[in-house]
Amino acid sequence: MEEYKYVGKPVDRLDEKEKVTGAAKYVDDIDFGPNLLYTEIIESPHPHALIKSIDTSEAEKVEGVVKIVTGKDFPYKFGLYMKDRYIFAQDRVRFVGEQVAAVIARDPKTALKVAKLVKVVYEPIPAVFDPIGALKEDAPVVHPDLGNYPHVPWFFPKGGTNVAHHTKVRKGNVEKGFKEADFVFEDTYRIPRYAHCCMETHIAVGLLDYSGRLTVWASSQSPYTQRNLFADALAPLGFSHKDIRVIAPYVGGGFGGKAGVTMEVIAAALATAVKGNPVKVMWRRDQEFYNTYMRQQVISKIKVGVKNDGTITAFEITNYWDAGPYVEYGANVVNASGLSATGPYRIPNVKIDSYCIYTNLPAAGPYRGFGYSEMLFSVESHMTRIAKAIGMDSVEFRRKNGIKEGDSVAYGAPMNPNGLLEAIDKVAKEIDWGKKETSNDSGKAIGKGFAIFWKAPAMPPNVSSTAFIKFNEDGSLNIIVSGMEIGQGYLTAMAQIAAEILTVPPEKIRVELPDTDRNPYHWQTVASHVTWANGNAVKRAALQIRDRIFEVVHEVYHYDKDTLYLEDEKVKCRLHHSFELLLKDFVIGGIQTENGTYRGGAIVGSGSFMPEFTSAVQDPETAQGGHPNVHYTVGAAAVKIEIDKQTGKVRILKAVEALDAGKAINPMNIKHQIYGGLLQGFATALYEDMRFDENGKILNPNFTDYKIPTSLDIPDEVVPIIVEVPQPDGPFGARGIGEHPMIPAAPIIANAVEDALGIRIKSMPITAEKIAMAILNGKKEVDEFLMIMKK
Amino acid sequence: MNKISFILNGEKRNVYVEPNDLLLDVLREKLGIKSPKYGCGRGDCGLCTILLNGKSVRTCLILAIEADGQEMLTVEGLSKDKLTPLQESFIRHNSFQCGFCAPGIIMTATEFLEKNPNPAEEEVKEAISGNLCRCTGYTPIIEAILDVKKK
Amino acid sequence: MAIAHEFEYFKPESIEGVIELLLKYKGKARLLAGGTDLVVRIKDGLEFPEAVIDIKGLTELGKLEFKNNRLFIGSLVTFNDLIDSKVVEEKFSLLWESSKTIASMGIRNRATIVGNICSAVPSLDSGPALLVYEANVVVKGSEGERVIPILDWFLGPRKTALNADEFVYGITISLPEKKNGGSYVKLGRYNGEDLAQVGLGILALEGNEYRLAFCAVGPLPGRAKKIEALLNGKSLTDSLIEEAKNLVPEEISPITDVRATKEYRLHVAKIMFERGIKAAVERLNGKGPAYGKKLI
Repeated sequence: MEEYKYVGKPVDRLDEKEKVTGAAKYVDDIDFGPNLLYTEIIESPHPHALIKSIDTSEAEKVEGVVKIVTGKDFPYKFGLYMKDRYIFAQDRVRFVGEQVAAVIARDPKTALKVAKLVKVVYEPIPAVFDPIGALKEDAPVVHPDLGNYPHVPWFFPKGGTNVAHHTKVRKGNVEKGFKEADFVFEDTYRIPRYAHCCMETHIAVGLLDYSGRLTVWASSQSPYTQRNLFADALAPLGFSHKDIRVIAPYVGGGFGGKAGVTMEVIAAALATAVKGNPVKVMWRRDQEFYNTYMRQQVISKIKVGVKNDGTITAFEITNYWDAGPYVEYGANVVNASGLSATGPYRIPNVKIDSYCIYTNLPAAGPYRGFGYSEMLFSVESHMTRIAKAIGMDSVEFRRKNGIKEGDSVAYGAPMNPNGLLEAIDKVAKEIDWGKKETSNDSGKAIGKGFAIFWKAPAMPPNVSSTAFIKFNEDGSLNIIVSGMEIGQGYLTAMAQIAAEILTVPPEKIRVELPDTDRNPYHWQTVASHVTWANGNAVKRAALQIRDRIFEVVHEVYHYDKDTLYLEDEKVKCRLHHSFELLLKDFVIGGIQTENGTYRGGAIVGSGSFMPEFTSAVQDPETAQGGHPNVHYTVGAAAVKIEIDKQTGKVRILKAVEALDAGKAINPMNIKHQIYGGLLQGFATALYEDMRFDENGKILNPNFTDYKIPTSLDIPDEVVPIIVEVPQPDGPFGARGIGEHPMIPAAPIIANAVEDALGIRIKSMPITAEKIAMAILNGKKEVDEFLMIMKK
Repeated sequence: MNKISFILNGEKRNVYVEPNDLLLDVLREKLGIKSPKYGCGRGDCGLCTILLNGKSVRTCLILAIEADGQEMLTVEGLSKDKLTPLQESFIRHNSFQCGFCAPGIIMTATEFLEKNPNPAEEEVKEAISGNLCRCTGYTPIIEAILDVKKK
Repeated sequence: MAIAHEFEYFKPESIEGVIELLLKYKGKARLLAGGTDLVVRIKDGLEFPEAVIDIKGLTELGKLEFKNNRLFIGSLVTFNDLIDSKVVEEKFSLLWESSKTIASMGIRNRATIVGNICSAVPSLDSGPALLVYEANVVVKGSEGERVIPILDWFLGPRKTALNADEFVYGITISLPEKKNGGSYVKLGRYNGEDLAQVGLGILALEGNEYRLAFCAVGPLPGRAKKIEALLNGKSLTDSLIEEAKNLVPEEISPITDVRATKEYRLHVAKIMFERGIKAAVERLNGKGPAYGKKLI
């Protein structure tokens, strides 16, 4: 491996000082002046109802109220991949908590008081909460007009039903594959909804100034995509993209929940109703739970066939996704994970059906892992059970069937270079796989669980990323980009890439947060693709600058460009060793020639990157023929747990995860992603437990009863391992890893519980209660699912 | 409206408040102190933590008027001249990611290290257990707090 | 977020001042100490007082004192004050251990034990310890001072024996005459802070005397009289513990809610009893796990 000066080093985060001094500004920290208006949203108490009337007359009379708006004021549809939602409910509401109207007032207390005076009359209609039930002939139809909704060409909604989309993958012949198998095993797994629980709740402030320009400050992962959606949603008001500006300062956590557009469109729309006044829409913690995106529920039916020697001959899976009533983003979760639902295995015969189903539970969509965290629980639980059934070691099974470079994935495209086998070996070694451990305490049982995982960025085939770079008089740099620093260390990684090429150290580099007026385009900060895509753009911009520098030096000094190089912020020459020109001496002012005139001037660079080999033209019946995914990042993970057999409580003794990052731009920050992502995943496995009542209302929209990890819940030991099999088209070989750390967490826990107790738990979360009651009642398999609580 | 006064980050300040104004809101909106954040409004997450008379408290559950005559310290007060050894340790360890939990953890850890300058790892975990962080998995934060005693 | 409900705020400087306000507002006033319960309830629209009476101006209420074998805990004493007190840690270890399980640093720096018993939530962590220590609640009102035994204090969920013109001055706990050991065992969903799904406080006194109290498994916290009757006077054996475990379902009536099912609570309550009573007796004999170590 080539040794670099900045890339591959644990460089200090660029944003850390701002964050530890309180200088870092998030949207609510910006002062918007005395004209800032406050809102309160009137929300539906019903999961599915017709809106009969809205009476705002009493509310409007109160002093301090500026405006009250309802769906009538904004009858505009929007959506990222499918246009199925409105800014405010129109003729009907489709989930408990859906926004029906908004009060805009001069102060927050008035807004709160007045919201209670708005009277809405509803006529409840039958609702549906179970995704499989929603497929029945007589199920209530959530979107009667589904057949008319505009959508991207690679989605297939079925009008007249609750099927918003159906991904079909057919490779080889599964019937033949099952016949060839010596052992076939089929079962069902259930994964409930989860919440992102970003520390910063969603917030957006919109201002339509008196000249007609709309500015929205948003805690967002996607400023450019938001701008595009606002332009689309508010198109009847005649906005051009250049007259909408989205500014995204630091974001207090995203995890996919701040991708696309959810409540931000409310601020944009309300701004147009109160011209000249900035209007703030900020979610309370409970709204953050029920009116953003939840992680989708999925019911997975898997059938796998293997030969006695462990070779997988056939794989069939049907995933029924409960995506809520608005799937404009969630449908892609279903699609993306559907294409890759086999997991990282080499399988000749594959049948995948992934259904995106409308229900009347709250809107659901992207969450770290984008469908892979959800469905890998099923796949990796199932694979371990199969290995056990044929008497094969779990890890050996993965080694044998793990996908290699060049193997074809489910939709026919070839697998990229990857370190899956290396990851498997390193994890197995670190967890001491094969060595059965027992606890000194007879009341406790120790078990180990293993899983492999993968994920590809789920994106349209034509996503672009760009960057500008400019110098300052002292040779420091500004990198101007529209990726988002949501905590992952993005700013630092970009600085390291530019630093490596231009030899300006990261301490002399700033990376600017997005402002769509000024920073050039980037699609969204999602999909774990930003280090790769924007890193490539930054690298191209830096190379462009370097070329320009050499050109100017050549013009003045006549040295051959091929002999020039950069080192320690200077231009040097391999032929003329005494030549040395400090960058800061000419990157703004140019180089003076012999006759006193100057060449060069202020040097800037730009870079643009878009993959040119991806396409979404696959056959809708088989998914063959396209190239929808750029590449996969792979990994392996294992956990060792100790279970108290009486209380069912699980203690995580050791967790190990290996990720193939291609090239770790900042290894320290990647390890930190592993600490955070694994813990987030373990929480979904062990104690995050979303509950609804029979009317589709969330029962625990707060931290008192939806438990997220504290410092007391971390594993005793976490070992992060970085594998580096370069990504040929990645900057310095890098590929993304942001989502991946979370993906294997749930199945390794399920597998470890089975190893410890011989009990297979097929539904999440695997709470202490489920374990204890299974032991108490002598059950070997548990599929109890408590998400909707019966009275 | 009641006029209240107190010492904030070493300086005597006054402000007018209604009885039902929350301390978190008054700090952020009337006193220019943005470091304590809104996270849950119920005292469950610790994002709104400051030091009141040297003790870490949740400003989302305190009426502003209760601060009359008291002394408050926030992250802004720690960052006026040099950074504290704790802040520098966090920078060295790249501890915070999105940073939203940072002010709450910094104030809690500041109180803790004052009482317990040479803590064991378990004590650190317990001290910050009421401050939620979704990004980091806590390990780099705990390491940074432990590293302060070595300096 | 913001509180829309409007109320008056007072910070009286004397006991008489507090009582005067209580009489004036006839049950429509609420006392404010730490505020960690009251402020949440006002925000949630569950309390709408006309006046809030801040008692933090009465410094005598902050007294935490051990004198003549009696501990006095003033109504401004916070849970962290109790935890930081050597006297509480060494002489009232069960109360110390219970306090450590509550919430977080930031809450414990404000929340008071008097506030906890005034809230009278079924899951209150201070309940079991106070019940087995047989504490007394010192109350002052327009008719003077009276003492309410803690065994008569809890009347129902969020209902106490306090009258509208009264407020709690403090709690007194007499040091048990006999050598003793205790344990507070609490069921939560994970290691982080949680409201008890089952709470059990046990005091084992020299001479085979046992006192037990549960919280979170019924509308009131209460003493487990049947189990006490079975155990009292006897030395602890495995078969006695087994017999007592079978009485647990008769002492408690847990419900199913988002936090846990009735069945799991019943099951773990038995285990908590077994581990808790063993630890209490070990501690009585100067052995056993250190106070503060979690048993489940």
